[in-house]
Amino acid sequence: MGGTFSSFGTALSALRYQQNVLDTASSNVANAKTEGYVRRRAEGATIGAPSQPALWSRSSPGGEGVGLTGMTRLTDALLDARVRAEHGKQSYLDARVAVLDRVESGIGEPGDSGVSAAMIDLKAAWQDLSNNPSQEASRGQVLARSAALADAVQQQSRMLEAEMSDDRARLTAMVEEVGTLAGDLAATNASIAIAKVNGTDAGVLLDKRDQLALRLSELTGASATQRSDGGLDITLGGVSLVDGARGGSLSVVSGIGPGTAGTPPVVLGVTPPGGTTTTVVSTSGETGALAEVLTTTLPGYAAELDAVAKQVADAVNAAHGAAYDAGGAAGRPFFTYDAADPAGTLAVALTSTAQVAASAVPGGGRDGSAAHTISTSFAGAEGAYSRLVNAFGTTVASAGRLAATQQTLTAQVDGARDQLAGVSIDEEMVAMVAAQRAYEAAARVMTTVDSVLDTLINRTGLTR
Amino acid sequence: MTIGRVTSSMLSQRAVDGLQSNLARLAEIQEKLNTGRALNRASDSPTDSQAAMRLKSAVGEQEQYTRNAADARGWLGITDTALQSASTSLRRASDLAIQAGNGGALSADAREAIAVELEQIRDGLVGVANTTYLDRPVFGGITAGSAAYDAGGAYVGQPGAVERTVGDGARVRVDVHGPDVFGSTGDTVFDRLTDLAAAVRASDGAGVRAGIDKVANAQGWVTSALSEVGTRTNRVEAAEQRAKDAVITLSSSYTDIAGVDIAATVVDLQMQEVAYKAALGAASRVIQPSLMDFLR
Repeated sequence: MGGTFSSFGTALSALRYQQNVLDTASSNVANAKTEGYVRRRAEGATIGAPSQPALWSRSSPGGEGVGLTGMTRLTDALLDARVRAEHGKQSYLDARVAVLDRVESGIGEPGDSGVSAAMIDLKAAWQDLSNNPSQEASRGQVLARSAALADAVQQQSRMLEAEMSDDRARLTAMVEEVGTLAGDLAATNASIAIAKVNGTDAGVLLDKRDQLALRLSELTGASATQRSDGGLDITLGGVSLVDGARGGSLSVVSGIGPGTAGTPPVVLGVTPPGGTTTTVVSTSGETGALAEVLTTTLPGYAAELDAVAKQVADAVNAAHGAAYDAGGAAGRPFFTYDAADPAGTLAVALTSTAQVAASAVPGGGRDGSAAHTISTSFAGAEGAYSRLVNAFGTTVASAGRLAATQQTLTAQVDGARDQLAGVSIDEEMVAMVAAQRAYEAAARVMTTVDSVLDTLINRTGLTR
Repeated sequence: MTIGRVTSSMLSQRAVDGLQSNLARLAEIQEKLNTGRALNRASDSPTDSQAAMRLKSAVGEQEQYTRNAADARGWLGITDTALQSASTSLRRASDLAIQAGNGGALSADAREAIAVELEQIRDGLVGVANTTYLDRPVFGGITAGSAAYDAGGAYVGQPGAVERTVGDGARVRVDVHGPDVFGSTGDTVFDRLTDLAAAVRASDGAGVRAGIDKVANAQGWVTSALSEVGTRTNRVEAAEQRAKDAVITLSSSYTDIAGVDIAATVVDLQMQEVAYKAALGAASRVIQPSLMDFLR
């Protein structure tokens, strides 16, 4: 049997506890749409007899109050790890698709204004010249359309170079962001460790920790392991990036020169806290995607385009060299290019229409058979270009499909995480109403006990 | 997937995702209808793009063949006309020569008149031999000059074949080598007519008879050239028809692959619109209600 006033104590503990529950519900509702917020639950426990009664003591039944034992963050470390892994893969594929899409739009094939169309036009111009070798207009058209083809090739080459410059700049910026995030996460880890020792609620810090780790995974595909002090350690490619309260950094070891210049391959390196830089190969995260496109995909395409430009120029030059121009002299090289960058420097070398060679016989006759030969000379390059474009199209289509498939998976784990950690307004309403009623009931208990005591104190012994 | 617990943010996120994917499909259809092309980039369908590029190139080639063939027909037509006119002239020359050869009774004036007409025919033939197509003498080979024969009837052209590509690997010669029609230097039809006129004027019966044979012989050159030109014209016309047919077939294949099937796409658009409206409706119903509406 408890003391006379123990019911007051019990009711008071209920008031306090329900107050806490209301607080928690209100903070959950307030953060219903906050990015990275994990819903909390106020955990209550009955305060009653000790689980191990002291010797000779007796437990008194009834009068057990309630107490707040802690705030639970409703999350699952394993699920979080899964979310990070899928997000790393997703951002890798998304970043790759974004780059490839931009390049593909820049190529503009199949279309009416691309390299392919310019080749078809040029072929027709040489044929027309073959029909009318004496007409100035036909010669002018050959020159103009050759220049158009050279422009189209050059434009594509410049577009590729611009895209690679952009990507290098973005990669540099991202690498810096990774360093900053690693530092922030290390600082957060330190705060969490302190909070744990102090026994303060670290919920907000843990939310921040998870958000930083997720962003790091999106950027690099790094994996995280939980420490006993509540912090997260991050490793990338087996090298430690964040170790407790100490953060390392990510850097571009080679492949990006000063500014946005650079030569493939792009190699990334992780510098662990207090250690030396180790190169890592990342096939996840945005940095991994950019390193990949800068190392393989875009340089590969550029090299193929160079080969096509070279093939066109060499084929036309060879056929043109075997022909004779309007003055009867042997044809000069038609196209010029710099062997180091054929696609970027392809240009028409001839300066006047008279230099266009259409005749297969010397002496200035009006023969057009050489023009016909030249018109067929770059058919091989045309085929090579068409194969190049379509191989690239296949790459883009497959990247798009992979990203879409991964999207389903990512959405699924995001959904699973949200099921656990997301705030349900209805649920909070119910909790709120329940807490409100419990609070009212506890207050009523107090009133009743008060009235009981009133009876006992003021009325006992009175007969009238 | 099993859903253990549904939260409001899940619902709203899903609603947004659903609307987004619906809109993305709408945008895809819109792009197709706006551009009129089913293939807007190679990745839309790499195989079809490859085929489309090849077809487009083939259409360009065939169109070029039709242009070349039209040009070839022009050349051959002009050549044919010139040859017909040469043939007529030579026939008239034969008639005149026979008339002159028959008449021992012809007066000197009459012979002179025939001789003058024969000379005029010769000059006319030189003009015919210099017939041009687009400023190029059709009997002059690949000469850069404007004439195949000078006023004296000497060949000044440059031998060489003028050819037109009228099909894949099919090249047709459109010019006629002048000396094949008008005789080789030293024994041209012009020389023969000059000699004939001189024989008529001199009342040289043997010379006139020899001249008649020679003119008849020259008529044979023209006739064989005419038949040659006729054969080539037939080849060119057949090739032109083939190329035109190919343009139509290839273009329609290209449109099948790269063009938008308007009817099908509009139906797609309507269906997508319905799906989008349904998604909007579902979103509006799912997001709005909450327990708050039912609590006092």
